[in-house]
Amino acid sequence: MPLLKCENVSKRFGGLVAVDDVSFEIHPGELMAIVGPNGAGKTTMFNLINGVYLPDEGRIWFEGVDVTKFPPYKRAHLGMGRTFQIPRPFASATVQENIAIGAMFGAAGVELNVDEAMEVADQYIDLIGLKAHRNQPAGTLTPIEKKLVEIARALAMKPRLLLMDEAMAGMNPKDIDEMVTFIRHIRDLEGIAVVSMVEHIMRAVAGLAQRVLVMHQGAKLVDEPTKEALNDPRVIEVYLGRQAEEFDVKG
Amino acid sequence: MKGPGRYLPIFPVLVAYALLMIFGLANPGKWQLVAQLAFYCALGQAFNLFLGMTGYVDFGYVAFLGVGTYGMAISITNLADGNLGLGVILVGFLAAAAFSTLLAMAVGAVALRLRGAYFAIATIGVNEGFRYLIEGARIWNGADGIIFSRHLKTALGRKMAMSISTFWADIFVFGVAILAAVLTLIYLRSKIGYALLALREDEDAAKVMGISVTRFKIIAFVSSAALAGLLGASGWALKLTYVYPPDVFEIHYTVEAIIIVLLGGAGTLLGPIAGGLIYGYSKYFLAITLPGFQLLIFAPIIIAIIVLFPEGLVGILKSRVHGTRFEKFIV
Repeated sequence: MPLLKCENVSKRFGGLVAVDDVSFEIHPGELMAIVGPNGAGKTTMFNLINGVYLPDEGRIWFEGVDVTKFPPYKRAHLGMGRTFQIPRPFASATVQENIAIGAMFGAAGVELNVDEAMEVADQYIDLIGLKAHRNQPAGTLTPIEKKLVEIARALAMKPRLLLMDEAMAGMNPKDIDEMVTFIRHIRDLEGIAVVSMVEHIMRAVAGLAQRVLVMHQGAKLVDEPTKEALNDPRVIEVYLGRQAEEFDVKG
Repeated sequence: MKGPGRYLPIFPVLVAYALLMIFGLANPGKWQLVAQLAFYCALGQAFNLFLGMTGYVDFGYVAFLGVGTYGMAISITNLADGNLGLGVILVGFLAAAAFSTLLAMAVGAVALRLRGAYFAIATIGVNEGFRYLIEGARIWNGADGIIFSRHLKTALGRKMAMSISTFWADIFVFGVAILAAVLTLIYLRSKIGYALLALREDEDAAKVMGISVTRFKIIAFVSSAALAGLLGASGWALKLTYVYPPDVFEIHYTVEAIIIVLLGGAGTLLGPIAGGLIYGYSKYFLAITLPGFQLLIFAPIIIAIIVLFPEGLVGILKSRVHGTRFEKFIV
């Protein structure tokens, strides 16, 4: 059984078709990337997967449960975690509290009281190496530390699917490599599927994903293993454009 | 913080109220001032449970005090001959809490689905709307209000009725203030408090983290409203023994509640007490020294404090004691 299954999902905003009849599956423990140029519909697709938007057409299943109409918090309880492109930690709460909130209200949250959630948070603080900042308000951290707190907060939710929105945007190549290693490490550690959304950092895609879903103008362009996808002429065309002689110069 | 130690911050609260009460008992001439200060502290604490914890501004908040006042008034007028004795007061408090809870659920079910400023706008009309509903539809005696001093005497005897309205009503206000403080601390130390913190900081992120934001907003809203109902029943109904719609649905009290919470520190436990004492005393002092000018003088002071110290007095104090041994008392 696939972990997540999207079937003919569409979302329109007025006359704009942001996501157009997209179907794909994600399997447990898989590392996948959703790739596409700016405006391809990646963020809308993410928002449809975790319930920030409801689709106009199509259905979404998570572990066999039809979650098409579920609000985000119910999907989180079932085991979907998410990080944002620009990290959004709760600024006035400490690092420990931020991560504990993930533990308290995520998939395993019902059984945890506040003290137990704080203990879970400490484990993830060790994992991201921010022990020195444990009692510091998250608003005072550097951008990369905020990003780590946000990932730890999502992991503390004990998700089986982690959606990472542009986890590596704005990072230098060294940090990207470290982040790729870290994401692979947590995948191995927690056995969760990670879907990361990437606009154009192919270094990250090549290093991280086993499979790539390329979106273009709201529709699915290709859904292939990473190497094939990155060498697919259709994908190259989307990113670099067609060869000059093929252009239609009328318009 | 673990174990019972997490509830230590209730001690400064109890000490503050005990000192205020002792000061009032020792200076009978100042009892009305003390009662007024206790009322403002209680108002701030009750409102803080919603405004401070969620960051949502409810401009119609006074309506909960209003319906609470009616809850007490209606109970006393209807049960005066029932030989219930002091049970009348208890029924009155229950009715007050029930009325304000019901109104909060009705308002909250609609308005709490709205965000921030839209919620604030949606609630602006609630108190005025309720006032005109009572007056226009002649519910609960309409614009004539309810005068129940006679019923209170019938139910409790002349002497007891006097002592209720001149003394015990104010003690009940202290009771509401302490109840609000205890509830605030319990919320702050439980999952409810963390859920409210998350939704106050970033509602979209909170939803994605698995927090049912509407549910927690309703919990805070209803708790805050029920306390307001109890406050109206004690500080207004029992103290004055009458209720007129224009008096108890006056938006002025909502504005005072907002000032108290912001002045002291929104979302903190001690903030509304500090805010209530400072606001209440300044208002009293200015009314004596510069009668008629108190609002003119108070407005710029409040603007200055809110611009310069957006975290409020206790917010500043909290960051000052961070890392010291006083930290566990200041919340």
